[in-house]
Amino acid sequence: MTNAVEVSGLTREYIMGGQPLQVLRGVDLSIEHGEIVCVMGPSGSGKSTLLNIVGGLDRPTAGAVVVEGEDLAVMDDERLAVYRRRQVGFVFQSFNLIPTMTARRNVELPLLFAGASAAERGERAAAALESVGLGARIDHRPTELSGGEQQRVAIARAVVGEPAIMLADEPTGNLDTTTGGEILALIREMNAAGRTFLITTHDRAVAESVADRIVHIVDGAIERIEQGGTS
Amino acid sequence: MRFRDLAYLVVSNLARMKLRLVLTSLGVVIGTSAIVLMLSLGIGLQRNITAELGQIGAATHINVMGGVFGPGMNEPKPLDDRAIREMESLEHVDAVMPAVSVTNIGDVSYKRYTTFLMVQGVPMEPFQRLGYEIEAGRLPRNDKEILLGAAVPASFAAGFGPQGAVGGSPTPDLIGKRLDVTFFEYPSDTADPMAMPTESTRRLTVVGLLAPSDMQTDQSAFVTLEAALEFNGVTQRRATYESVIVKVDLPASVADVEKVLTDQGYYTFSARSIQQSLNATFLIVQAVLGALGAIAMLVAALGIANTMTMSIYERTREIGIMKAVGASNRQIKRVFLGEAAIIGVLGGSGGLLFSISGAALANLFVASMIEAQTSGAGGGATQSSFFHIPPSLALFAIAFAAGVGLLSGVLPAMRAANLDPLTALRHE
Repeated sequence: MTNAVEVSGLTREYIMGGQPLQVLRGVDLSIEHGEIVCVMGPSGSGKSTLLNIVGGLDRPTAGAVVVEGEDLAVMDDERLAVYRRRQVGFVFQSFNLIPTMTARRNVELPLLFAGASAAERGERAAAALESVGLGARIDHRPTELSGGEQQRVAIARAVVGEPAIMLADEPTGNLDTTTGGEILALIREMNAAGRTFLITTHDRAVAESVADRIVHIVDGAIERIEQGGTS
Repeated sequence: MRFRDLAYLVVSNLARMKLRLVLTSLGVVIGTSAIVLMLSLGIGLQRNITAELGQIGAATHINVMGGVFGPGMNEPKPLDDRAIREMESLEHVDAVMPAVSVTNIGDVSYKRYTTFLMVQGVPMEPFQRLGYEIEAGRLPRNDKEILLGAAVPASFAAGFGPQGAVGGSPTPDLIGKRLDVTFFEYPSDTADPMAMPTESTRRLTVVGLLAPSDMQTDQSAFVTLEAALEFNGVTQRRATYESVIVKVDLPASVADVEKVLTDQGYYTFSARSIQQSLNATFLIVQAVLGALGAIAMLVAALGIANTMTMSIYERTREIGIMKAVGASNRQIKRVFLGEAAIIGVLGGSGGLLFSISGAALANLFVASMIEAQTSGAGGGATQSSFFHIPPSLALFAIAFAAGVGLLSGVLPAMRAANLDPLTALRHE
């Protein structure tokens, strides 16, 4: 069986003030189905760029990214949008919910762009919110929810389309330790049900609490990979 | 994305910026109003003229007046029987009808009813060929018979006239009845300007009633040409007529024949020439409205583009989120194009409502002016509407406003669609 994600020779270069800046320099990484991989590194190490490229929000300068057998390099903008819709669920540090929409509407959004019917969307969004423990707050707007609750809505939105991989960029970065712990517990729970995660963090405790493998990135290159304590 | 969901996104986005939405569409309201009023004035005038002048086939009629002094002419060209025969021989001419107004007529009364009438003497054969239709009875055959216009019986009933105090009476059936017609005769052999005319009364039998046609005909009565000449005291057979109606075969021939007659020294007018001069007058009004509309629409379009650009800037992060959860560039573009189009549609609908009520008010005003001028004319009053907004114009207005909105939204929507998702997500 193929891996969920195959990254090979990944390079990303930005032009900063006329100077080329290498953010990623030749990263190779495979993620198996049902695995939680944490990418650790200081800020500016390129871990978020890696996550964004795997998620189809950014494009590599060189190298290949293959997710579920699909090569991202050959996709145009339209197909990349479809890829994000079908294969990827994003969870951001700052939640990124649409403030004018209720929790349910936020969770329905990916299905809406996929063309699902209102009935199907409603049902699946309610189920996803139920699975993150927010069944009772379905019609609340983000401003009426706590940070932890907002991140749960974001996780429900990421999972509602049944993606191949969940990408979480510092998912506990804006939360206190207790709430962060609850979010990590939710991630473990979803992983136990078979979900694959790629998570970035600069917090060793976070990585150790969920990761099957911890990938250390320094200056755009993988320094070492250690086996996490959970598997 | 389904159309319903696109509509939902568009409407809920617009609902968040109600004030801005109203202000932006106001520009479209003004532009649409000006354009709709301009076009409805054109349509209304066209309809009006056709209704006023076209009822008895006036589209093919040319009115010829006796000659006037013109450049290179010493003498007016007389409208006599020879001139009529010449006109009859012209190409495209179907019929030529001279008309003589009975000038010395006073009251016309039937029992206790009294009215004023314009009485015209016409030859009966071309009269029919010109398209006047008889509703009841027949044409006059001698100087004791008279044919009434459609509105004349009603004007008797309305008590129109100096002693006419019998208003509100039922319209009398006059066919076969005798009318007493008063004539004045001025002594012709005296230079005394204060000389009193002598009155005489003739009895004329109503032999027929015309079908309704144009306003003037409806309120006139007709006798034979010979009778009119006799009433006017013209004894010689070689009469000159004040006016002649020339009927041509096709509306398209009017211009050619009119030109020939003008070149011969006659003064002519026709539905076509009246229409042309009216059009020239109203063209100025239309041009002003059109220019105002075009400028207003342009400014409105800039307003929409500006509002959309602002709102996209404010929603940059939201666009990033939508892209991250799988919205394609095309879907983002559709959302913003939809918003711009709806702003246009709202403004267009507002403008349409405004111009419908404005047109109704203007028509009411014009109608009251016309009524004031022709007061008491009875049932023959025509419905004049200068502004007319047919459903097709209403549809066009909405579609046009939507198009302007859509077009104004193109650039901002493209900008939104092509935003880099990562940059958009980092936007605060």
